[in-house]
Amino acid sequence: MQPTIYLRLRKRVRLPRGKPVLLGDIAQLLTEPEWEGPLLELELHRPDRMDGNLVLIDILSVISKIKTLHSDAEIETFGEPHTLVEVYTKRKPTNVVAFIIVWLLLFFGSGLAIMNFHEDVSMPEVHQRIVYLLTGQTVEHPYWLQIPYSFGLGLGMVIFFNHVFKKKINEEPSPLDVEMFKYEESVHHYVVTEEYRKLAERKRGRRR
Amino acid sequence: MNAVIAAVSQAFLGLASGLAVGSGLVAFLVVLDVIPRLAQISGTSTRGADLEMAVVTGAVFWTVTDLFGLTVPGPSWPLIFIGLLTGGFVGMMAAALTEVLNVFPITARRLRMEIHIKWLLAAMVIGKVLGSLFDWLYFRTH
Repeated sequence: MQPTIYLRLRKRVRLPRGKPVLLGDIAQLLTEPEWEGPLLELELHRPDRMDGNLVLIDILSVISKIKTLHSDAEIETFGEPHTLVEVYTKRKPTNVVAFIIVWLLLFFGSGLAIMNFHEDVSMPEVHQRIVYLLTGQTVEHPYWLQIPYSFGLGLGMVIFFNHVFKKKINEEPSPLDVEMFKYEESVHHYVVTEEYRKLAERKRGRRR
Repeated sequence: MNAVIAAVSQAFLGLASGLAVGSGLVAFLVVLDVIPRLAQISGTSTRGADLEMAVVTGAVFWTVTDLFGLTVPGPSWPLIFIGLLTGGFVGMMAAALTEVLNVFPITARRLRMEIHIKWLLAAMVIGKVLGSLFDWLYFRTH
């Protein structure tokens, strides 16, 4: 009876440019010990410039490569039907100037936004009203309310983003972590779909 | 007779508009996920209904005090706490709003600054605090 190869593709893999994609890079596998070494070293694809920095390795192409090595092997696959290989050139350090510009953008932008908000909702009148209701006095500039209000504003944002209490209270991710994750998932989904489309296009081109 | 009709229709109008504004406020809070967030942080997830009641009673209480002008003479120092609390609430709304609009994930990813996201967050928080202080202490007085 022929041995079985159990195969699980990874979802996303990062490889340096110039390195061929080996089966061991993108998959975990379980099989006869003497088969394992050569299978892990099996070359699946050599990314070239044409591929861009994202290469989609489909399970079908993996299986056909394995079949060239062991034509009679049973292949059982689990998990993802494809792996997205991200080919990276040396990771560039963050551009300091860009970072400073973004920082200032957010800094002044949020300052302006909060002033606009105060204007929109007539916050000064509301503050004067609150002070009147609580103390019976009419104060034009109720600093006792407004200065703590300003600091409370920052505090509320920090609490929402779970920065202060991150590790102390629980391991639950902050909404920002979840948002980042959801966004990356959507990008991943889009890229995979797009790569499949390109793959189909290339095949059609070849057939012509 | 006319007075009765006027009174009844006004009462109906008041009830209807109150209903619209109240459900609007709740819908806004629900979309922004502020209450679940607070429950999660304070570990009071099982008492979510009580937190919702806090919002409802707060809204009704302050509507009544405001509309009827129910004022009590009092000292100024409690204003510090009221200020901190109201500011905290507005801050959470602001944070939740950027969250819903996905500002941070997109900015950070586009500019490959995922690891510096903390500092970008700090920029926004400090910007809000200083912007607000500038607004009250300088902009409105000069």
